Amino acid sequence: METTVIQTVAIQQTLWPTLLLIAAGTFAMRAVPFIWVHKHLAKQDGSSALPPWLGILGSCTTAALCGISMVPGDQVLSDHSLTAWLATGLGVLATLLVWRKTRSMGLPILAGVMAFGMALMIPA
Amino acid sequence: MSTVSTTSAPKAWLQGVKEATPLLGGYIPVAISFGLIATQAGFSQWETVFISTLIYAGASQFLFVAMFASGAPLWLIVGMTLLINARHMVYGPNLAPLLPASKKSVLLMHGLTDQIFALALARLPHIPQPQRESWFSGAMLLAWFSWVGGTAAGAQMGETLIAQWPFLAKVMPFALPALFLVLLAPRFTSRQWSITLLITLACALGLKLVGWSNAAIPVAAALGTLLYYMIDSLKQTRG
Repeated sequence: METTVIQTVAIQQTLWPTLLLIAAGTFAMRAVPFIWVHKHLAKQDGSSALPPWLGILGSCTTAALCGISMVPGDQVLSDHSLTAWLATGLGVLATLLVWRKTRSMGLPILAGVMAFGMALMIPA
Repeated sequence: MSTVSTTSAPKAWLQGVKEATPLLGGYIPVAISFGLIATQAGFSQWETVFISTLIYAGASQFLFVAMFASGAPLWLIVGMTLLINARHMVYGPNLAPLLPASKKSVLLMHGLTDQIFALALARLPHIPQPQRESWFSGAMLLAWFSWVGGTAAGAQMGETLIAQWPFLAKVMPFALPALFLVLLAPRFTSRQWSITLLITLACALGLKLVGWSNAAIPVAAALGTLLYYMIDSLKQTRG
């Protein structure tokens, strides 16, 4: 109880300056490179002035995001690990099969989530 | 994945909202968990909502709350959270050729999360140039509001929500890998790209499994880029 009160007081005194500093820093990391490249492009007069590695890094970042998002959440893993991985595999397969058929966004995602959910219902 | 056929900005905005909808499956359950954890750590409901509104970066918000509640030095809290968010520096330059150099575009960069970046990088080239800002605005605002709304719901009634729909909370986050797969699939255009993307994906997955969650994205992406150039140089050597 006492710890909670101390924590609350400490939070109230220092929260806003810290929160605003982090928010400003995060926004700067998102916006400043965007502005900088726009200025660079305006000087060079064309998108071809951008180094090709930047586009390759962008695609690789999407692949990395895909990789980390495939690891089942702690809640699912702690319950039954093997089922969680099997469900992930089936979800991936269903997503890709429906994408191959439809080349759309909504249906493959829906199919993937449904396959993942149904596989999770399999008893471990 | 069709090109936007309309010329009106409101329709492009709605198209952005529609295409970002799968993100909700990943955002809302995590935002609810964040709201619950932050209020349990001693933050008020309003403070919790403002953290999500102003910082708007999942992993660093959890770290921020945990370090704050444990009484860590402020310089360390600021340094660590910004270090986790440093990967966002790569996203703006990739989107700069696709979006106009307007004040609105700069303000919209507040919503440049990992998922919005991947979605925008894949979809913006298919949107007519004059409608891209509207499309990005729709996608970004939906994701942002869902994050803030999920946080508010978690702060207000997180335990009840998680207890009522435990299965949904387990299943819905799969929308995120499914979305990334759909964005990634059209990029498997050559053997070089296929090898690069598959190894990058596997590398990130492996790093996350060994506990390097925050380093996984930048490290795997950098290795993938190097691998692409190594394959390129091998191809040139062989003639």
